[in-house]
Amino acid sequence: MARRSQGRTGGRSGRAATRRTVESIKPFIERKIPFYELLDDDGLALIERNADRVLEEIGLDFKDFPSALALFKEAGADVDGERVRFPRGMCREIIRASAPAEYVQHARNPDRSTIIGGKRLVLAPAYGSPFVRDLDSGRRYATLRDFENFVKLAYMSPGLHHSGGTVCEPVDVPVNKRHFDMVYSHIKYSDKPFMGSVTSAERAQDSVDMCKLVFGESFLDQNTVMTSLINVNSPLTFDATMLGAATVYAQHNQATLISPFILAGAMSPVTVAGTVTQVLAEALAGMAYIQLVRPGAPVIFGTFAAAVSMQSGAPTFGTPEPSKIMYLAAALARRLGVPFRSGGGLCGSKIPDAQAAYESANTLQTAALCGVNFMLHAAGWLEGGLSVGYEKFVMDVDQANMLDILLQGIDLSENAQAIDALEEVGPGSHFLGAAHTQANFETAFYRSTIADNNSFEQWEQDGAKTAEVRANEQWKQMLESYVPPALDQGLDEALQAFMHERKSSFEDRDY
Amino acid sequence: MTDENYDDEEIILSELNDEELVQQMHDDLYDGMKEEIEEGTQILLDRDWTAERVLNEALVAGMKIVGIDFRDGILFVPEVLLAANAMKGGMAILEPLLAESGVEPKGKMVIGTVKGDIHDIGKNLVAMMMEGAGFEVIDIGINNSVEDYLAALEEHKPDILGMSALLTTTMPYMKVVIDEMVKRSIRDDYIVLVGGAPLNEEFGQAVGADAYCRDAAQAAQMAPLLLHNRQAARG
Repeated sequence: MARRSQGRTGGRSGRAATRRTVESIKPFIERKIPFYELLDDDGLALIERNADRVLEEIGLDFKDFPSALALFKEAGADVDGERVRFPRGMCREIIRASAPAEYVQHARNPDRSTIIGGKRLVLAPAYGSPFVRDLDSGRRYATLRDFENFVKLAYMSPGLHHSGGTVCEPVDVPVNKRHFDMVYSHIKYSDKPFMGSVTSAERAQDSVDMCKLVFGESFLDQNTVMTSLINVNSPLTFDATMLGAATVYAQHNQATLISPFILAGAMSPVTVAGTVTQVLAEALAGMAYIQLVRPGAPVIFGTFAAAVSMQSGAPTFGTPEPSKIMYLAAALARRLGVPFRSGGGLCGSKIPDAQAAYESANTLQTAALCGVNFMLHAAGWLEGGLSVGYEKFVMDVDQANMLDILLQGIDLSENAQAIDALEEVGPGSHFLGAAHTQANFETAFYRSTIADNNSFEQWEQDGAKTAEVRANEQWKQMLESYVPPALDQGLDEALQAFMHERKSSFEDRDY
Repeated sequence: MTDENYDDEEIILSELNDEELVQQMHDDLYDGMKEEIEEGTQILLDRDWTAERVLNEALVAGMKIVGIDFRDGILFVPEVLLAANAMKGGMAILEPLLAESGVEPKGKMVIGTVKGDIHDIGKNLVAMMMEGAGFEVIDIGINNSVEDYLAALEEHKPDILGMSALLTTTMPYMKVVIDEMVKRSIRDDYIVLVGGAPLNEEFGQAVGADAYCRDAAQAAQMAPLLLHNRQAARG
């Protein structure tokens, strides 16, 4: 057992300290394994031709937003009322001419500035749930307090690179003012990159203005500090709300995530190929619009696809068909040359039970293998997005940490080849005391933050806790030990003054 | 792992007073520092400590901390192996002295994996933790028949017999061994401990063992208690 190099570590107290060592910041996961493809080039080309045909012959509606119609018309599209039809290849050409293959999204902490696209994966928490759930109080409407809590939990989770956007809907704040508090929370309680408000053009502008205070006006015009979620009102429809917000962000060089929101069978055909065709057509039209507003503004090809139950119409998650859709859409985004968003810990279960775990794991694995670049909903998602769970959040973060290791691929260094270990131990015996094991064991295997692998008796003695109970203890402990990132006091005051002034300049409204 | 948080350059064991040295040896056991444990053991002996006192206050007490943190998932198996190895270094110095002065080890244990079973990593961990707790352990290895066990009991006259199995198909053999011990009226001469992944408390009772030990740390905790109770009962 040759091992003199370590030396004293201070016995028990020293070990306890090294075991607590904070992990270094990783602003994204860098993929070193191949993309998993379900279709060959011929198959993908067929989908592309069909999408072109949809764009050319059927077209999309751009509702209540004349400026978009004018832009498209000027670019050569056929505009008939609010229906826009695109000559074959037009959208693809516009996108390829100016949309970046990857972009930097700056965070207020430069170490956390991330890159979206290429071989990278950025994980962000769940988005948009009106309800929250925890083991103690069950399901209830989310409040601003919950919002702050989830921002804090995401900040403290090394596997999440991004603070997300509407981590839950703070329904205790008036609809027309809650965006101020949400953007402020992301800035105040985290220093990770985040998403801006998209519920109106005006609120998008407020988000931009708050970021100008943080990053400076001239910086903002040339750099991206927000990536915001623009959903397509599928099938084949963009509405004024989304177009309004998307336009503001594009004008300010801020990134948008153009996501067809598909419950297949209801909002798209019941087949995988048919749905992907529609997804591609919608994403192409949306991304082309962004490039027409401001060439070079970052855009992400998004895909949110669930299948609806043909018995009830309810969305279902973690089933094979949406996984196939994700694989195809990812490959199509790569062919187009833009970043891709999909995946998440998606499930239909109301609680973090076996259904939730299976469905979420299926979606996460697919997202990792297919090559998602930006994964919204990576932590907390329950009940088809109606609820975000505190316990589910920390359980998902454990999974997110594992994705990093999976995507790192195989270490083939001399140390990893471990011939010396095989030579040292030989037949029989065991490797637990081998010098190679001594040198590598601490980082050799992922250690779950949630799983219990003790003996039955030990587990029983510790209270026979389920994963949900262990997760409950964990998030509470995290929130108790939360320490906010430093924020310049002058900036904090400026942000609060801006919010106060804007909030008092118009009446509360709940729409 | 580098020890940025800890500077060991300044520690000279011989300059520490007894209390500090024992504390440092606990730390060094924890850190698996064999040479330092050997040095510390010698220093204490040179200061006229009895071998028995060095064993109990420096080594066994130090390994107790290791056992607790192993049980609680703070220390990892390879680290416990290093600690046990360091302990062995100290023991090698103490053993002749202990024998000379007629000091018996805390207890003696014969341990082995049952017939048909060659899985011994868990058994090895138990042996190691028992040694750490101050027991003399005679490890008779794997694939042991009734005859092997009986011969070892005869030869070594231990206080404790430990049997281990990983397979559901080999674990019933423990009963074969114990039944034979009963038949020969020697069952009550020993404390019989059984362990292995497919066992449980109920199985331990069913085969007639004194206790089922779910893991190595627990075996090392339980053995002294059982031994103490037995000695107390015998008055």
